[in-house]
Amino acid sequence: MSETLLEVTNLRTRYKTDDGNIFPVDDISFRVKKGQTLGIVGESGCGKSQTALSIMRLIQKPGEIVSGDVQFKGESLLKKTEDEMRDILGNQMAMIFQEPMTSLNPVYTIGDQIEESIRLHQKGLTNLQIKNKAIDMLKLVGIPAADKRYHEYPHQLSGGMRQRVMIAMAMSCTPQLLIADEPTTALDVTIQAQILDLMRKVQKEFQAGMILITHDLGVVAEMCQDVIVMYAGKIVEYGTVEDIFYRPKHPYTKGLLDSIPHFETGSRMKQLNTIPGLVPSLYNLPVGCRFQERCKFAQEDCRRAEPNLENLRGIHKVACYHPVQSEGGN
Amino acid sequence: MSSETPLLKVENVVKHFPIHGGLFSRQVASVKAVSDISFELKRGETLGLVGESGCGKSTLGRCLIRLIEPTSGKIIFKGEDITHVDDNRMRDLRRKMQIIFQDPYASLNPRMTIGAILEEPLIIHNLYPVEKERAERVQELIKLVGLRPEHLSRYPHEFSGGQRQRVGIARALAVNPEIIICDEPVSALDVSIQAQVINLLMELQQKLGLTYIFIAHDLKVVEHVSTKVAVMYLGQIVEFAEADELYKNPLHPYTKALLSAIPIPDPKPRPERIILTGDVPSPIAPPPGCYFNPRCPMASVECTQIKPELEEKSPGHFARCIKVPATI
Repeated sequence: MSETLLEVTNLRTRYKTDDGNIFPVDDISFRVKKGQTLGIVGESGCGKSQTALSIMRLIQKPGEIVSGDVQFKGESLLKKTEDEMRDILGNQMAMIFQEPMTSLNPVYTIGDQIEESIRLHQKGLTNLQIKNKAIDMLKLVGIPAADKRYHEYPHQLSGGMRQRVMIAMAMSCTPQLLIADEPTTALDVTIQAQILDLMRKVQKEFQAGMILITHDLGVVAEMCQDVIVMYAGKIVEYGTVEDIFYRPKHPYTKGLLDSIPHFETGSRMKQLNTIPGLVPSLYNLPVGCRFQERCKFAQEDCRRAEPNLENLRGIHKVACYHPVQSEGGN
Repeated sequence: MSSETPLLKVENVVKHFPIHGGLFSRQVASVKAVSDISFELKRGETLGLVGESGCGKSTLGRCLIRLIEPTSGKIIFKGEDITHVDDNRMRDLRRKMQIIFQDPYASLNPRMTIGAILEEPLIIHNLYPVEKERAERVQELIKLVGLRPEHLSRYPHEFSGGQRQRVGIARALAVNPEIIICDEPVSALDVSIQAQVINLLMELQQKLGLTYIFIAHDLKVVEHVSTKVAVMYLGQIVEFAEADELYKNPLHPYTKALLSAIPIPDPKPRPERIILTGDVPSPIAPPPGCYFNPRCPMASVECTQIKPELEEKSPGHFARCIKVPATI
């Protein structure tokens, strides 16, 4: 099997606030292999973006990582100094953000912005080499007339083009791990299809590992090999993409899958399955399972103690006392 | 769904936004946001308007209730041409035509309680002049959308996105409208909450006999709620049909590409997908000929020369493409 690139074990991130302590990342463990894509899904506020930021040690005060470990290529990132981290971020590990409008600097040309990371991380290149490399990256991500676009500012580009620039920036130092936080959420479907296709191509070319954070289960099904489902800061289910889509065990995973409208004729006026209620506040979590209030299978034991993530088959794990009996495999 | 006369009839509606510039702020160009839209809608139907950002679907929705004045064309509501009626008459008509907005965070006044928000349309339209009856109506409304009467004294910030959208729906329902324009009502919500709001909208439609115009970019949601679907591209309707027919048998290459671009929540490998190249062109200077030709995988020379019309290709199924053969 291919080698492990990133291993996260029992990671916990705490925010100390006036209203009490909360743990948006609560005891998270997972692993990403070279060339593999891991999807993290969940609804807003479930801690998926906080998990990504914790891995890169970009958590800001009043937040801090309180326990656990993040091993990148066999070394603990939590033990690195600030300088060592700066060397890794943008170089061996890069991030693509959701909002291409706010994550590009409006007063620099896109050429300048791509060059910045090359200049920082690849010492000893001449200005011309840096410029050529930046233009090559723009070509790689499919920007037409790259040498002209190089001199343009972010506002002159469309949303899809900006997201391509973000990908070019992220890939410019050939990172081994790419973290993409809702990379296509702000884009239209036809542009989303272009960007996902590009990300797959670029990932294959560089054999990079990828963590893809999204709320769109369709995107997960298309891009990922392994999937984590998060709920209120915890992993509730972890498995291969087939495990999650064909043999979901956690009632939340099942609920999420059932609540998407499917393409089928005559589906009109059929009630969509919903998950009743709302995500609990992290300040006021129930005793026991965090999903109990919205779960139709909840029983006494769910209210007593929180279920642990139990191993099923292969890498498939679920945190539930009363897992869903799936209707046979596929 | 029985009445024969359409509830809403739209004829050749056009909206161009002028762009001023130059020395004397003359009009130098215009954004052709909506061009030549026509359709009919019967009571109890739901028309889904789909398309990518900037295709003019929201502008069209707003033109229909004259929140934006159309440049030309006719809007006929229950047999009355409302395109040029005065403000007083329009205010009366808006009682019958309401809108639900996309952003449940921006569309509720943060300084008003939910009760006051729901009461306001009743006061404006002078519907329940007796205060006690008005209070009862507000209570009835909040229960209708699945919230509780004790929520009435709270402020919008105390609610989640899904709950706020319920308040937005209750506000639209307050005046007993006949048609509701839903402008991306669920796109700001999480999946599990989306399903709750969609179910609510459909339940209300059955209970109250409402007619919807449902504007969305999510084709799956549109398929689920609509009886008819219009696909828009650069201000034009490029395809129009009954919902089942359109999804089963898409004719226009743009509709085909849109359908094929949707990620399907099933990890099974899928047949080849149509990936469109390039972006939507600017509506200030649309390309010559068919607006879709620069991105169309089927385009040929005549597509850059002939402006296609919206033609009936098979019974009830319209498409704006010269490459699609008519079967009637």
